Amino acid sequence: MRRLITILCCGLVAMLATGPAAAKPPIVEIEIRNHLFIPSELVVPANTKIKLVVYNRDPTPEEFESYELNREKIIVGKQKAIVFIGPLKPGTYPFFGEFHPKTAQGTIVAR
Amino acid sequence: MLLTTVIIILREFLEAALIFSVLLAIGRYLGIGSAWIGRAIGLGALGGILFAGNTGRVSEWFDGVGQEVLNATLQIGIFACLTGFAVLFCTQPNGAENRRRLMILMTISVAFAITREGSEILIYISGFLSAPDMLTPILLGALVGAAIGTSVGALVFYALSSLARTWTPWISAFVLALVAAGLASQACLLLIQADWLPSQTPLWNSSYWLAEDSVTGQLLYALIGYEATPTPLQAGIWFCALLLPAILIAVMGRFGGRQTT
Repeated sequence: MRRLITILCCGLVAMLATGPAAAKPPIVEIEIRNHLFIPSELVVPANTKIKLVVYNRDPTPEEFESYELNREKIIVGKQKAIVFIGPLKPGTYPFFGEFHPKTAQGTIVAR
Repeated sequence: MLLTTVIIILREFLEAALIFSVLLAIGRYLGIGSAWIGRAIGLGALGGILFAGNTGRVSEWFDGVGQEVLNATLQIGIFACLTGFAVLFCTQPNGAENRRRLMILMTISVAFAITREGSEILIYISGFLSAPDMLTPILLGALVGAAIGTSVGALVFYALSSLARTWTPWISAFVLALVAAGLASQACLLLIQADWLPSQTPLWNSSYWLAEDSVTGQLLYALIGYEATPTPLQAGIWFCALLLPAILIAVMGRFGGRQTT
C-alpha cells in the first residue's frame, strides 16, 4: 500500500514538474466596452496555446467565461486580465461576459 | 437581469452550500456543537470582503495570474481539509480530541468556500451599485438565488441526517471525497488557465450528452466538478484525489488494527 502511495505521489510530482512550455505563446487582445466584446470575433491559430489579454474599459466588473474553452475569470473595472487558452482544435468557441450575458458575447475561431 | 442574477448567485451559492450542509450533517452526527458554524461564516465573510475588495490587486500578482493562483490555493486548501476530515472521521475514535480536530478542519473548509464564492458574489453586486435602477432586480435576484441555494443545501442536510446511523458516516465521507476531488480538478484547471500547468487537448467531449450549462451539468459541477472537456491531467488529478482518502483510510485503518491486536 505504501508503495502504491509512493508511485502515485511520484506520478503527481512528475506531472507538475513538466511545467509550462518554454515557447512564448502568441498574444491576442480584446476589449470590453459598454458590456460588449470588441471585436466580437477573434481568429486564432489552431493547435497553438494563446495568451488572451482582455481589457475591460468599463468601470464595472465583468467575468470572462466560456464553457467551450473551460475558462472563467473576473476582470474588475478599468483593468486587464490574462487568460491562457488552447491549444484548440479548428472550430468555433463561444464566450460571454457572465455579468452581462445578453450583450457581452463573442466567439473565438481557431483555424 | 433578474434571471441572470438568480443563476449567477445560485451557481456560487451551490458549491459552498453543498460543503456546508454535508459538514453540518456529520457535525450533528458526531455531536460537534454549533459554535464552529458562526466562526466559519464570520471568517468566510471577512475573507470574501477582503478578496473582493482587492481582486484588482490580486489579479496583478504573478504576472497577471494572481486570481487563478489564489483561487487554486483556496480550492486545494479545502481539498486538503476535506480529505483530512474524511480520513480522521473514518479512522479515529469519536473522542473530544478528534472532535476538536474535525471542528478546525470543518471551519477552515467552510470559511475558504465562503471566501471564494462570496467574493464573486460581492464583485458582481458591486458592479451595479452605481446604477440604482438596476439595483432592485439585482438584489432581488441575489435573494432568490441564495434562497434556492440554501434550500438545496437544506435538502442535502436532511437527506444525510435521515439516513440510518450506520450509513451516515460512510455516505457523508463518500460525498465529501467526491466534492474534494471536484475541487482538486478545478484547482488544476485554474493553474492550466494561469499557464502554471501544461495545457493539453481534452480527453473527451461529453457536452453533447450533458452540457455544463444545463441544470444537471451545474449540479454535477458543484458535486463532482463535472467538466464536459477535461484534459488528461485534470482527469488524472480527479481520480488520484478521489482515491487518496480511500487509500489513507485503508492504511490508517490497518495501522489501527495492528495496534489493537
